[in-house]
Amino acid sequence: MNVNGISVVITGGASGLGAGAAKLMIEKGAKVAIFDRNLALAQDIAAELGCMAVQCDVVDEKSVIAALQAAGEVNGTPRILINCAGIDITGRTATRGGGPQPLEALTKQIAVNLTGTFNICRLGADAIRQLDPLDGEEQGVIVNVASTAGLDGPFGQTAYAATKAAVIGMTLPMARDLSSYGIRVVTIAPGIYNTPLAASVLRGQPNDFAGGVPFPKRAGKPEEFAALALHVCENPMINGEVIRADGALRAT
Amino acid sequence: MDIKDQIAIVTGGASGLGADTVRALATKGAKVAVLDLNEMLAQAIADEVGGIAVKVDVSDTDSVAAAMAAVKDQLGVARIVINAAGIGIGRKITNRKGPHPLDSFLKVVNVNLTGTFDVCRLASTEMASLEPLNEDGERGVFVNVASIFGYDGPVGNTAYAASKAGVIGMTLPMARDLAPYGIRVMTICPGVFDTPLAKAETGEEGFNRIIATVPFPKRGGKPAEFAKLACHIVENTMLNGECIRLDAGLRMGLMV
Repeated sequence: MNVNGISVVITGGASGLGAGAAKLMIEKGAKVAIFDRNLALAQDIAAELGCMAVQCDVVDEKSVIAALQAAGEVNGTPRILINCAGIDITGRTATRGGGPQPLEALTKQIAVNLTGTFNICRLGADAIRQLDPLDGEEQGVIVNVASTAGLDGPFGQTAYAATKAAVIGMTLPMARDLSSYGIRVVTIAPGIYNTPLAASVLRGQPNDFAGGVPFPKRAGKPEEFAALALHVCENPMINGEVIRADGALRAT
Repeated sequence: MDIKDQIAIVTGGASGLGADTVRALATKGAKVAVLDLNEMLAQAIADEVGGIAVKVDVSDTDSVAAAMAAVKDQLGVARIVINAAGIGIGRKITNRKGPHPLDSFLKVVNVNLTGTFDVCRLASTEMASLEPLNEDGERGVFVNVASIFGYDGPVGNTAYAASKAGVIGMTLPMARDLAPYGIRVMTICPGVFDTPLAKAETGEEGFNRIIATVPFPKRGGKPAEFAKLACHIVENTMLNGECIRLDAGLRMGLMV
């Protein structure tokens, strides 16, 4: 799909990978709505990039319905969803000093990373389903963001890895579910990137933690994630697939 | 890496996925060497894009070495290598005629797996001696072509699936081997594409039967779509050591 003139929603778009994707989509002529829980941050980025910002809590059905409605009124029904909203709560499953990991570490991440992603997919896809196909073929594209942690998770990431593996797992069946409506579903699994989320989890500059990346030996740039997300939108043969974008990193 | 002004080799570049990749790379400003068993077809594509044609049999290591030397002489050392040369046969491991002949199995493995490895080992040796291009230290990139049959091969595809699974399997260790030189290795696993090889293997009727099972878009892939992904891989430095299915969501069932 050529993204020029297309209504695009980017969740978690106020920072990191989402903000990178928003910038590139706008450069390519897309009409972008940045969805984020943090409205102030979303508004700052939106003002800088020249697009709209909408407060949205992806876990909350009413919030997502209202946000999609708001984006639709300004930009037209979104045909592309790029779901970057996510949280990462680190902690080992059990430790001698701390005992078992709090169950909430898992349930909170399931809510945002998995249920939140599923929630906007089902509501967004239901609207895309009712649109006309473009070029007689395609109606929409959903790009979900998992993580290489969902495939080879490092220590302290059991809960996060579980939620990202779940996003990976729903890629193919969701692509199959939506194939009859001309909607593609593709997941990107990023490795280490220069984002505020990675910096807070790693408690430092992501670049300083990229020593184990084969090549390039540095953290990824949000622009590189964005370029892949754009390519996924533009190439109709990519569907039901999970793409690692990690400089060949396998966490050890 | 920026494709403009780079030297590129495309094996199997005279037809199908390879030919459109030659065109896409040339359009983005690369100087392309079209390597193919079919010299006449290769010359036609090379003339079309202002590149060079070199005859090669990737299953013959002397031929590969000679082709590499010819490219180096005429264009220089390639930083981009797309390995699209491949063959297929349909045969069950045993049937009423007897066991699958070993020589036809070996022929497929020699072209698809050993041929790909041979081009990679020779081309990467030359590449490693080049100056890095940018602050990342990037020197080159390989895009190998496997197939979704390497993951889910239907009946009658043991040899082809084995050879393509071999290409998939060497992606990560090769990327790790070449990472210190700033050389990336990626693999594309095409599904069913509208190419002479695909149609020859499945027949028109088989082709249409598979298409009926494709989720979306319900058609053969266009070689230009393959070429577009190959170019994106060359351009996006974070893609390394990964196999990307390009198959419209298709998982192959029991039968072709």
